[in-house]
Parts: sequence; C-alpha cells; structure tokens
Amino acid sequence: MRKTNLLSLVVLLILSMALIQPVAAQTTTLRVLVHQNPPMVEFMEAFNQAFQERNPDIVVDMSVVNANDLSTVTQTRLSANDIDVIDMFGFANAVQPYMDNVDPPNWQQLADAGLLMDLTDQAFIANYDAATIADAGTYDGKVYAVNLGRVSYSGIYYNIDLFTANNVTVPTTWSELVQACETFNAAGIPCMTAGGKDGWPIFVGAYGLTGALYPDQAALVEGLWTGTITWNDERALEMWSRMQVYTRDMIESGASGIAADAAPGRFASGAVAMFPGGTWYAPAIEAAEPEFEWGYIPFPGSENAEDNQYLFGKYDQGWAVAANTPNAEAALLYLAEFSEPENYQAFVDAVGFIPTQPTAQLNTRLGEQVAPYLENFRVGYEQYWVSPRGVGQYANPWASYFQPFGTFDDPQALADTVQADLQSGLDAAGS
Amino acid sequence: MIGYHFGRGRARWLPYLLLLPGIIAYFVVALGPSLATSVYSFTDASGLPGAPINWVGLDNYEEFLFLGQAARDNLNAVGRTLVFCFFVTTIQFALGLLVALILNQKLRGRNFFRTLYFMPVILGAVIQGLIWSLFLYPLGGPLAKFLEIFGARSEFLGAQPTEAFAWVIVVQIWANMGTTMIIFLAGLQTISEEYYEAARIDGADRWQVFRNVTWPLLTPSVNTNLLLNVIGSLQAWQLFLILLGYRNGTQVLGYLIYATGFGQTSGSVTSSFRQGYAAAASIIMFLLVLVIGMAVQTVLRRREARLMG
Repeated sequence: MRKTNLLSLVVLLILSMALIQPVAAQTTTLRVLVHQNPPMVEFMEAFNQAFQERNPDIVVDMSVVNANDLSTVTQTRLSANDIDVIDMFGFANAVQPYMDNVDPPNWQQLADAGLLMDLTDQAFIANYDAATIADAGTYDGKVYAVNLGRVSYSGIYYNIDLFTANNVTVPTTWSELVQACETFNAAGIPCMTAGGKDGWPIFVGAYGLTGALYPDQAALVEGLWTGTITWNDERALEMWSRMQVYTRDMIESGASGIAADAAPGRFASGAVAMFPGGTWYAPAIEAAEPEFEWGYIPFPGSENAEDNQYLFGKYDQGWAVAANTPNAEAALLYLAEFSEPENYQAFVDAVGFIPTQPTAQLNTRLGEQVAPYLENFRVGYEQYWVSPRGVGQYANPWASYFQPFGTFDDPQALADTVQADLQSGLDAAGS
Repeated sequence: MIGYHFGRGRARWLPYLLLLPGIIAYFVVALGPSLATSVYSFTDASGLPGAPINWVGLDNYEEFLFLGQAARDNLNAVGRTLVFCFFVTTIQFALGLLVALILNQKLRGRNFFRTLYFMPVILGAVIQGLIWSLFLYPLGGPLAKFLEIFGARSEFLGAQPTEAFAWVIVVQIWANMGTTMIIFLAGLQTISEEYYEAARIDGADRWQVFRNVTWPLLTPSVNTNLLLNVIGSLQAWQLFLILLGYRNGTQVLGYLIYATGFGQTSGSVTSSFRQGYAAAASIIMFLLVLVIGMAVQTVLRRREARLMG
C-alpha cells in the first residue's frame, strides 16, 4: 500500500512538473547590466518592478557593477551572450581625423564587432533630441544607443550654512576661492572633500579649473594633438600651479580614503564647506540629508569671473541592446517603456541628469542651481580626448598627479613630465 | 621483478584510459588557453566576439617593450614586480617559518593560533582587500586612531605610491603567510624527535639544533615555499586592483595585463579592449616567471643535493 502511495506521489509530481513546464517556458528573463550609482540603481529597481507588473511574462534580472568594472563585465557577458540591455556608461567621442595610432573607444569597438543592435528604426528614438542621438549614439549612420542625459562635472557644491556662519561669499574667481578656503581652514573646517579612494574624483573635481582656462575644450584637444598647445606652456603652468593649490590646500586630509559613493554623504553631513563634483551627486546629497542647504556653482578656476560661467560635462549613461540577444522583443519593449516621457522624467528627477528628451524638465533642486549656466554647458575634455598609443602614464591634465595623491610637488616638473609623456605618444603616432 | 598490475594486451591501455580525463581537462583548462594566449599575442584581438582578428607579428611585443614613454612605464612595472616579489618572498618566508617553529611547540591554544594565522588564506582577495581598506581608513580608521595617539597620520593606501605599494606588500604577506606556515608545519612534523634528542645529547644549543637539524631537514618545505612564494608574488594582481586600482607608480605586471586586456588602463572613458596586446604582456610575464622560477629551482636543487646527499 505504502509503495503504491509513493508511486502515485512520484507520478503526480512528474505530471505537475510537466504541467508547470510550459508556463515557465513562456517567461522571459531580461538581463540588464548597469553601473553603480545609488540614485540611478534605486530608480531602476522601482522601474523594473513596475515594468514586470505591466509585463508579467518578463522577469528583469538587473546586475549592478562598479563603474570601473563596467567595460570588463560588458565584454565578458557579451562574449558569453549573457546580456540583453547594456549600460553604455562613459561615452567618448569617436576618433577624430587628426588622430593617429589610437584605439577606438569601447563603444565603437563593440559596434564594429557587430555586438550592438541597430536601433535606428525604433520608434522610441524619436523621444530623444536629434542632437543627442547624433552626438552620442550614432556611428556609421546607425543609431546604437540612446543617451539618457548629460552631466556637468565641473561644478562645486557648497554648504550654505557654513558659508553664512563664516561670512564667506560664494566665490566667483580663483582668488576668492583661495580666500574662502583659507577662511574655512583657519576656522578648523576642511574646505573640500572628494572621493579620493577611487582616484578619478580628484582629477574630475578639477576639470572645471581646466575648463576655466581652456573654455573651448574641443580646440584644446585638437591643439594638443597638433602641437599648437602644450601642457607645459605658460597657460598650462598656471593651470598646474592652481591644481597644486587645489590638492594641497583645498582638499581635506584623508580624502584618499573616502570612496566616491561616500563623498556626497560626508559633504551632506556638514563636515566640509565644499565638494567639487558632478551633478550626478545631487540626489545622493539630498538622500543623505534632505534638509541640508546646498548650492552649486561652476568651478571658479579663472581670475576673470566671466570665464567662470561655464559648466563642462559629458554625455553620461545610455542604453544599448546586445545584437545577439535571444530576448530582443523584451529588450526593445524595456527601452520603449523607459523612454516614455513620464518614465524618463522620473528618471531625470531621480538621477539629476540634464535631460536629453526635449519634453523633460530639470525640475529638481539641482535644476534650479544649474539653470543659470545651462546655456553655457559645454562638452569637456574627457569626451573629446583619445590617447595615442605609446603615451606615458602622466599624459592628462589631472590634478591627482600632485601630492598628496600623486608624487609631484613642483608644477614645472609635472608640466614637463606630462608634456613629455604625451609627446612620446604623439611622436610614435607620427613616426 | 615488478609485476605489471594492469595485466597484458588491451589491459595495458587501462592506465592511459584512466589518465585521459585528467589530460583532457588539463588541455582544455590550462594548456589550451596558454597556447591560445601565445597565438593571440601576435594578433590585434580585442577579445570581443565577432571582432576581426589580424596577424600583427611582433608589433605587440615591440609596443610593450619599445614604444614611447608607455614602454618605459611597462618596464618600470616589471621592476616593481621584481621588488614586490623580493619583499613578499623574503618576509613571508621568514615570518611563515618563525610562526611555524613557534606553533610546532607544545603550547596551549596552538591549534587556535594555527587556525588564526591560516584564516586569511581562505578569505579571498575581495574580503582581504575590504578588511584592510577599513583597517587603513585614514579618517578615523583603527590604525589612523592609533597613529593619532603619537601625533602622526598617514593616508595609507592613498599615500605616496611607495607607501601605498608597501601596504600591498603587507596585505599580500598577511593574506598568504598561512600557506607558508602550514607547509613548514607539515615539514617540521616529519622530522623525527630522535634527531633533536641526539643533538641535545651532543650539547647543541637551540641555534645549533635549528641550523644543523631543523634547517637541513626542512629542505623540501623550504624549496616548495620559496617556489610558491616567488611564483605567487610575480603573478599577483588582485590585491592591487582592490586596494589601489590603476594608480600611477604602483602597477605591477600582473595588474597591467589585466587593466590592458579589459580596458581599465586609465579608468577614463577612452580605454579600450586590447587582448592581443595584453596577451603579449602575459607572455612576457610568463617568460619572467619561467626564468626566475627555473633559476630558483636550479639553486634549490643543488642545495638539496648538497644537504641531503
């Protein structure tokens, strides 16, 4: 009798499995890869939840990786055909005609390898402004990505209460910035913080300084490539000298241990007066301390206040679809729903991007802060620059080469090293 | 006469048949990829599926060794790798031996301490790196607080490249010393107590016992540890990635290869995938490990022959 019961149970189980199987087979698992950016990830989790509710036959499996690891993970998961929707973070312009002996940027290599789906004919492309699609998603006449927003990386967040309490006015020139930091330092308040543990926040934080001295960054890149501008000429030396003041006297001691994700929280805690950083940090600052009073200004890197009215930045995150995805329909539906104006507006509100859909508004607090400068928004050095092969490791305008983050303490020595490292690559390209 | 256990005729193939799965696994997992790497090193492969691959001859090697300042940076990374290898090998070897000698004594709680010293080995590089990042946090981390007592401060992993590099050496030793200790402990336990008794009867003091009994009889463990430490430290890269990232003046060859192969050389948007070039750098590292490994092994074999007869 027991044997019969057991046998019946097994048969029942097998039948149940057989009945369940067809249902399970109908479910599509959509694999999405994004980089770590807490407000964006939080938004995407909520969006995914809503997307799944609207499309019960699709399960979104979203992976989050550190920004530095995104290209590696993208490559390996594309190789394994284990990804459907790709986060195209860190867009860089294509190789320019005056460049030689260079490696194309990652996204261009992915397109060349046929790994990105041609999105040209998708209806949702029309939701984005044509200039963005042309500048940050089109290659060889085909649209491979929709860019979700521009960011400025050349501004400084400042603590309104600390400025008021210490009678410091918001700086509009380099001298005023130096003076403000001296006042705060004398009061025992660290002037600036930055996520030095990740390296890049130190030099990205000073891109505004570079921008103030070289307002036309496309011309700067071409000048460096063609030799009409060098990193050790008079103007560059002025830049390096100011960068040294920035790393030595403005950034707080111990910033090298602060992770990029943690820096907004430290600023929002009220421990420091300023925080040089990108607009993408605004949601994190607000999330850390909603009542915290802050403002955002362009980095006053020039002695001429007129030169300090520009915000420099880049196209940030974008969506692309793996060309060989078995879930193409679900992936395109995902992008289409994301691109609907109300969803996109919610995304922009959450992450603080300067919108790339013409109907979207930057109606956050950050929006109020950057509105006066939006007309002066310029694409910055990082998006234009492509290094020739053979350049040395000090071939960029990076403040992080200075002590305490780097080894240099002499602007002239650094300027000569940077130019020599760049020149070795340019010479190799020309040979 | 020694009988053949597997019989005659077809049965003679049985051992080879039994070895076959292992050999296949070795070819698929180890030898195959190694050979593929050497072939890749002569191409411009990006590592992306579907991307065209062109034969470029020795271009990758030429670029790595001779092209511009980047070549000098690469050679500096090779030099740094050797420095890393020297300090890690010598300190880890000495510490592992010392701890093994202490924990080979009949002490209370020695099993606990053996476990404690070995524990970092099982943690994995990410956890190891996280522990030390927290320990060395310059704004109020435990070590920063301790230094504050003496009015000193440091940026630790964010400090000057030399100091940051030194901290990676410390973490590497901490992470792997347990393995060295265990191998020495195993070696010490194979030495018969009778040798020690005989030495003591002859009036040998502690140092003489160590020099004339323990040290020679530990030769197999010494050889194993030295080779493992040398090869392991020459190939190290994970802790550099986790603790320092791509930072000028700190890269070793292993990390340089990873960063180049997977588009992380600058951390900036212009990085690209260059697996052919990274493969050439891998082959250069392989040759470096091979030459140093063989030299060490030759010296150790001669020493073993001299000591053990």
